[in-house]
Amino acid sequence: MTDRAAPRPHPVLPRLLRAVGPPLFALVVSFGLGGLLMAVLGKNPFTVYAVLLVGSLSGWPNLAVTLQLTTPLIFTGLAVAIAFRSGIWNIGVEGQMLMGALAAGIVGYAAPLPDWAMVPACLLAALAGGAAWAAIPALLRAYIGVNELVLCLMLNPIALLLTGYVSARVLKAPGPTNKLPDVVDAARLANFSLYSQLNTGIFIALACCALMALFNNGTVRGFEWKLIGLNARFANYGGIRVRRNVIGVMLVSGAIGGLAGAEQVLGVYGAFYDNFSPGYGFDGIAVAMLANSSPIGVLFSAFLFGALNSGSSVLQMELGISKYLVQVLQFIVVLILAARFTFSWRGWRRPLVASAPAVTLPMTLPAEQGTTEA
Amino acid sequence: MTDALVSLRGIVKHFGELVAIHDATLDIKPGEVHALVGENGAGKSTLMNILYGLLPPTSGAVVLRGKPVSFGGPAEAIAAGIGMVHQHFKLAPSFTVAENIILGAEPALSGGRLDLRTAERDTGDLSQRFGLDLDPRAIVSTLPVGLRQRVEILKALYRQAEILILDEPTAVLTPQETAELFITMRSLAKSGRSVVFITHKLREVLAVSDRISVMRQGRIVSTLDNSEVTADQIASLMVGRTVLLRVAKTEAKPRGGPTLEISNLSVSGDRGTPAVEDLSLTVRPGEIVGLAGVQGNGQDELVESIAGIRRSTAGRIAICGTVPTVGDPVASRRAGLAYVPADRAHVGLSLQSSIWENMAVGHLSAFRKGPFLAAAAARRRCRELIKRFDIRGAGEMTPAGALSGGNQQKVQLARELTRDARLIIAEQPSQGVDIGAIESIHRLLVAMRDEGRAVFVISADLDELMSLCDRLLVIYRGRIVGDIAAADADVEEIGRLMGGSNTDDQAPTRQEAHA
Repeated sequence: MTDRAAPRPHPVLPRLLRAVGPPLFALVVSFGLGGLLMAVLGKNPFTVYAVLLVGSLSGWPNLAVTLQLTTPLIFTGLAVAIAFRSGIWNIGVEGQMLMGALAAGIVGYAAPLPDWAMVPACLLAALAGGAAWAAIPALLRAYIGVNELVLCLMLNPIALLLTGYVSARVLKAPGPTNKLPDVVDAARLANFSLYSQLNTGIFIALACCALMALFNNGTVRGFEWKLIGLNARFANYGGIRVRRNVIGVMLVSGAIGGLAGAEQVLGVYGAFYDNFSPGYGFDGIAVAMLANSSPIGVLFSAFLFGALNSGSSVLQMELGISKYLVQVLQFIVVLILAARFTFSWRGWRRPLVASAPAVTLPMTLPAEQGTTEA
Repeated sequence: MTDALVSLRGIVKHFGELVAIHDATLDIKPGEVHALVGENGAGKSTLMNILYGLLPPTSGAVVLRGKPVSFGGPAEAIAAGIGMVHQHFKLAPSFTVAENIILGAEPALSGGRLDLRTAERDTGDLSQRFGLDLDPRAIVSTLPVGLRQRVEILKALYRQAEILILDEPTAVLTPQETAELFITMRSLAKSGRSVVFITHKLREVLAVSDRISVMRQGRIVSTLDNSEVTADQIASLMVGRTVLLRVAKTEAKPRGGPTLEISNLSVSGDRGTPAVEDLSLTVRPGEIVGLAGVQGNGQDELVESIAGIRRSTAGRIAICGTVPTVGDPVASRRAGLAYVPADRAHVGLSLQSSIWENMAVGHLSAFRKGPFLAAAAARRRCRELIKRFDIRGAGEMTPAGALSGGNQQKVQLARELTRDARLIIAEQPSQGVDIGAIESIHRLLVAMRDEGRAVFVISADLDELMSLCDRLLVIYRGRIVGDIAAADADVEEIGRLMGGSNTDDQAPTRQEAHA
């Protein structure tokens, strides 16, 4: 540590508080507003929240459902978070997940491989499928400057219709349902709960988060990706190859998105079903925002949204409240966090309070940017 | 103090915990040009923003013509006869001069129709009355900077301003335009108006003002008559100690082949128009070469293309004999470039990142252990550099954005000068840096020169270039129009070249013998 007189400005506890503060604030406000909404609808908010809590967390059966619903959100949240951290709006995770799922589904029933190789092969296929779908916006963005946000958004319905076509026409399994044939037993991720489709995929999700946390904080590449997110012009100036790295970020993000699909196909359904996703890729955006793009934060926020989703079906059964109430809560969270994004973007141009005012006072004024002493 | 037109009495201003103005008292007399000088961050603009109603004071009073006033906003200050010309002009570029001047105080015909004819006539009268030659129908975007400034001044006069505050008005002007501005300022004073002139250029202060108030750390430390003081005394008051205005250095001993050799370079600006045209220059080891010019004459584009941030359209750049790939910053760096950019906030630093992270960029290969980043080693080196470059008020974990301008500049310098590069490009090295720090930055650059490196300095401040550099190049509209040994340099001559006189028909003057 330094032997200078200046106080260390960032001790651990305030730093932790600053990281956790805004998401908690967003949650408190959205639950407050949600409560108000329930009161208007004539329900006691405390009862509703109690039912949500019990319905999602009490006892192994409920918890198992919650964890099952958490797993895809960890993957998609992590995928979005990887891109966010580098300043890239990959909101095409839904499509990348579908393509990953399709790839895993095809390899899972059709690949003539020994049993031990089936799961790894399916996972690799999912990684490749997701990455390939993400490569489209990545390359167009990097080489001809197309806005990745719009492109990703447009590619989502294309992926849905494309996988729908494949599962309804090209490789359709016999029977009334639009799906691919079931994957072979050796390609299944083992289920370990009687009460839900919770499967070993959750361990893959945890491992991905741990690996990304290590990558972000420990490697040179992780450092470069963060810097690109904070200030791409500075990164370019400093000799970091921004274009190449941006493509890399998108490919990794898409690959993780593809894994979300593999977990659904190999662990939950046992086959690729047309239109299986209730929007896990989109929920991943909320998860990543709430997590502030931290891989460890993703675990917590995915669990929270997983719990809300699983509690919501109980809510519908016990109190007759639409399960979409939970979506309203999620959207409020996103709105508040998005407002904070712009707020902090405006705010950080103000004087970051000088740690030692005795030296020179930074005097950039919030009211009048034009009059600052350049 | 009844003879004062406006007085600031005991003004105090806090921003949160930060005390920006401590107990400042200032009297502005009618008919005087009053210079307000001080380092960056001394509080000059803040104090004037309080007078102009942009900021409320925490305590203290503004007394106008003997009566205490309290402005709720600039509109009230303008109504009371106070006008301000900001450093960055606030004009509508696609409007005409007259339209800009009347904007917000439009003469109207019946039914709310705009009386443009009266507006143009009034504008014409006004500009003639004050000797500010301007065509009321000219579109502002077509005017040079010096004339746009006149529009701003006329705008204030149109609103019957008695007190005119000019915030760093000369920063964007050529020496000739500055001289014209000074004539205007004098004639305004003669008509009984008061002009407050915010600046940190001491030569200008002495040239134009009647009285001089010096600010330091939020206080008015002294108010003096122009005849009583010298530039050195003002500088000492500004910093609170004695300062060397000239850079102490020995004669340059350039040796060997050029470190930077640019031949016939052309570069396009952001709008695709040519910014640099067929430009050639050389910088040799052991010399400091300065590039003088009015901002916006291709300096930015030239430097960016040397740094590989911008693609050139024609010509050749060689750094230490190698020609790096066009538009590749990595290649330029490998060839031996260290670059200190002017735009610290967007190019040279990541303000949200800590100092050690900012210092590690460009040195990552030294802190690489396999795929992993040796963060502990990077922090240790950062702590050493903080000590060596005397970066104040910070530890290695402090975000760069929390530092003052001077200390941010030192972070950039510490990172770039330790790169073992043969060519150092410093763009606006003293911009937003206080005088004390300017001194040490200049010493560093001279030390680099004496080690035999080639130093290329781009600055809008001609005084800085003339005292720091061994040789001066003048750029005008993307071409080098002058090449002068600093020892022979004459401000008038350089000013003429910067303003573009005797160019088109004349080849660049090469007074150096190294052709």
